[in-house]
Amino acid sequence: MATRAFQRLPTAPAGRILMLRLVAIILSLFIIACVLALSGHSPLMLAELIIHSTLGSRFGLEDLALFMCPLLLTGAAVTVCGTIGLWNIGAEGQFYAGAIAATGVALGVHGSALTVLPLMTIAGIVGGMAWITVPTLARAYAGVNEIITTLLLNFIASLLTYYLTTGPWRDRISGAQVSTQRISVSIPEMWGIVHWGFPVAIVIVIGLALVLSRTRWGYEIRIGGANPEAARYAGIPVRLRIISVMLLSGGLAGLAGMFEVAGTVHRLQGGMANNFGYLGIVVAVLARGSCLNVIPAALLMALILDSGIVMQTQQLSASVILAITGLILFMIAIGDELAHYRPLARTTPQGTAAGSKVS
Amino acid sequence: MNKPSNPNGRAPGTPPVLQLRGIGKFFPGVIANKDVDLDVWPGEIHALLGENGAGKSTLMNVVTGIYQPEEGEIILDGYGQTFASPQDAIRAGIGMVHQHFKLVEAFTVAENIHLGWDEAPRIASPAVMEARTQEISERFGFPVRPDARVCDLSAGEQQRVEILRVLARKARLLIMDEPTAVLTPEETRELFRALRAFRAQGNAVIIISHKLDEVMEISDRVSILRGGRKIGTFNTADCNPSMLAATMVGRDIVRRDMRTRPEGAAPIAPEPIMQLRHVSVRDDRGVETLRDVSLDLHGGEILGIAGVAGNGQRELTHVLTGLMARTSGEILLDGALVDRADPALFAAAGVGHIPEDRLRSALAPSLSITANMALREYAQPPIGRHGLYDATAAGALAHDIAGLAQVNIPDFAMPIRNLSGGNQQRLVARREIRIASRVLVAAYPARGLDIGAIATMLGYLTDLRDQGVAVVFISEDLEDLLNVSDRIGVMFHGRLMSVIPAAGADIATIGMLMGGREPADIQAGAAQ
Repeated sequence: MATRAFQRLPTAPAGRILMLRLVAIILSLFIIACVLALSGHSPLMLAELIIHSTLGSRFGLEDLALFMCPLLLTGAAVTVCGTIGLWNIGAEGQFYAGAIAATGVALGVHGSALTVLPLMTIAGIVGGMAWITVPTLARAYAGVNEIITTLLLNFIASLLTYYLTTGPWRDRISGAQVSTQRISVSIPEMWGIVHWGFPVAIVIVIGLALVLSRTRWGYEIRIGGANPEAARYAGIPVRLRIISVMLLSGGLAGLAGMFEVAGTVHRLQGGMANNFGYLGIVVAVLARGSCLNVIPAALLMALILDSGIVMQTQQLSASVILAITGLILFMIAIGDELAHYRPLARTTPQGTAAGSKVS
Repeated sequence: MNKPSNPNGRAPGTPPVLQLRGIGKFFPGVIANKDVDLDVWPGEIHALLGENGAGKSTLMNVVTGIYQPEEGEIILDGYGQTFASPQDAIRAGIGMVHQHFKLVEAFTVAENIHLGWDEAPRIASPAVMEARTQEISERFGFPVRPDARVCDLSAGEQQRVEILRVLARKARLLIMDEPTAVLTPEETRELFRALRAFRAQGNAVIIISHKLDEVMEISDRVSILRGGRKIGTFNTADCNPSMLAATMVGRDIVRRDMRTRPEGAAPIAPEPIMQLRHVSVRDDRGVETLRDVSLDLHGGEILGIAGVAGNGQRELTHVLTGLMARTSGEILLDGALVDRADPALFAAAGVGHIPEDRLRSALAPSLSITANMALREYAQPPIGRHGLYDATAAGALAHDIAGLAQVNIPDFAMPIRNLSGGNQQRLVARREIRIASRVLVAAYPARGLDIGAIATMLGYLTDLRDQGVAVVFISEDLEDLLNVSDRIGVMFHGRLMSVIPAAGADIATIGMLMGGREPADIQAGAAQ
């Protein structure tokens, strides 16, 4: 008779998850190395190159920080929304909406950075919020699935950006394609090419973690996400909380768009969201619902993105990078699931029965 | 003792449609059925009567192949049978109509009838299925509209679809679980007419019910289950409702008076804390689930609410705790009208609530024990101040509650679902008692607890009473109700049939009220 040798735990200890994720990453790197070797590349050489151009050099670290900045914010946007049990799949669209609003301010308001940057920040946040308003109200008042509404708005935002950057806002000065002109203000740089948006994003993520764990609002959000019925029982206005959380989520993604415009790209470009919104979902999944975990998760994601660019310089196609990303995430998902299992102790009746048979 | 009765007019040698012999079904720590014998004859409507948890549903699940019995045998038409699955039972001609319909709401009636039916034509256009459905509907005398969507049908029509589904699969034994619970009186009459027609063709029906009048009206014989065992089978003609009620609930009740107050206990306050005035509630379908209930809750008093589950107790608890808005009537708290159903407002006014499905609706399973214990007090100091949430203070509160509930907790940060169900219940009870400074509404607080824990729970209630709190104690256990309550109200069909002093309450009377007998009838019966 087949007896189960493993027991599934309802909650996986964090230590086991971390350990199994490391194993998953190492294993996927090994698989990638094998495949690369089979296709005629030298994995060791590539690895050395990647390490040198990411963690191993100042320029690499700067690039990492620039990648992390939007991922931190979109990851936090999805995580915050997930706390109340909702999925914001539309961080990409809210990112664009924030970027568009911020660019609009930059193109329209002429003044010193001290006045224009705060206005751009507000515009970015409000733009992101505006983009999630309809899904929010539909969710709160009509129970419309937010996954679909937020997702579909992404395409509209993306196409709107293409329209603006090829139409009314197109660059008439240098004639760059699918882009506005360079905006006149920018977020000051802090370290090399890393702008102050990066530390601000880190502070925001830490702040959110504190808000969720240390405020009444955060507590109500957590209860509402864990069991809406219990929230109702405790008299928590779940609908209002859903509205506030979703707007916050949209605002965070919009802020990411503003940072990207004012800190990194310095203009609005078609396709500039670069999947940061969708990758925010990946970051949130990796973070397992904890805001603080968003930081290492965003770092890992930034590393993968950066390595991808390095590999593209070595004549590996962009789809290889996607496949590698997928493989790593897939292995991590398996690792997370395995962390729930623990081998049953060997003192089961099965063991003693086998022993008695021998004797 | 157990000789199979053979009602008159049946050819000698006709075997029963269904015979059960010594059926036993056990779940971990629970005997659901034991030594159950049952004979159901062709041309008979057989009622199965019993309290909640008497084992009726388990027995019928055994008969329909959902469960396999650990003991005993099932004999159909004289031949022993084992059902490995519900499909086996359906093939053998046993069909069950559940209390909660198992229909696909978005499908039409014809589609539902044909769903999962091995005789459905391989290529079935809507027209073909609707024609077939029409034919089946006329053959069995249950009128339905084949092209209507199930979600647009009334409960009675949906039930007809369910019955047709079963009959189309050639059922000779129809089992119905509380078929009239969702029906209007007119629909009930129609159902009974159709069931009699079905019986006239030599088929058999088992009907599970709590409603004594209906049992008297529709059934030929009635079997009563209590505590998983069959108490007896009677010819309905020889029965009367009060005798059935007494047999149904009449286990050996040990009356222990827990009404005597210790010295210094708060007396029953003359002014009521909470009052319901003609309160009615309608559900989404427009069905009145609470009808014209008027009630006074006095401090220092335990009001017991008896009744078969599903007769408005849930609505009453929700109205009393602000979870459900009333459709009409008034609610007064300390003499002031409450115009808003807001659970936070009720909790702040000192109304505690141990809900019936506490593990599902009063806890957030994935959150920590600390977070769950703070659910009622997170908004007030020391936990909630200036919009903040003090996790340390919440931890201290959780410690206090766990200590009072005598639950040993190794780690307050672990998800509360890691605790056993019993321990979760105790924590909820203690958490609610903490905030219940004026009123405690306890719905089935002893359910699922062992005897020792039940005694502790009842002790909690009397302690609160002695502190001057108004306690509403909803239970299906008459013994507990009679022992701790000062007054007992009985609910039936959303109505509060009667509120009587518990000290002199007669079990048979309570049983009859639970079965839907009017208080006036009972008095008239007693006077005769």
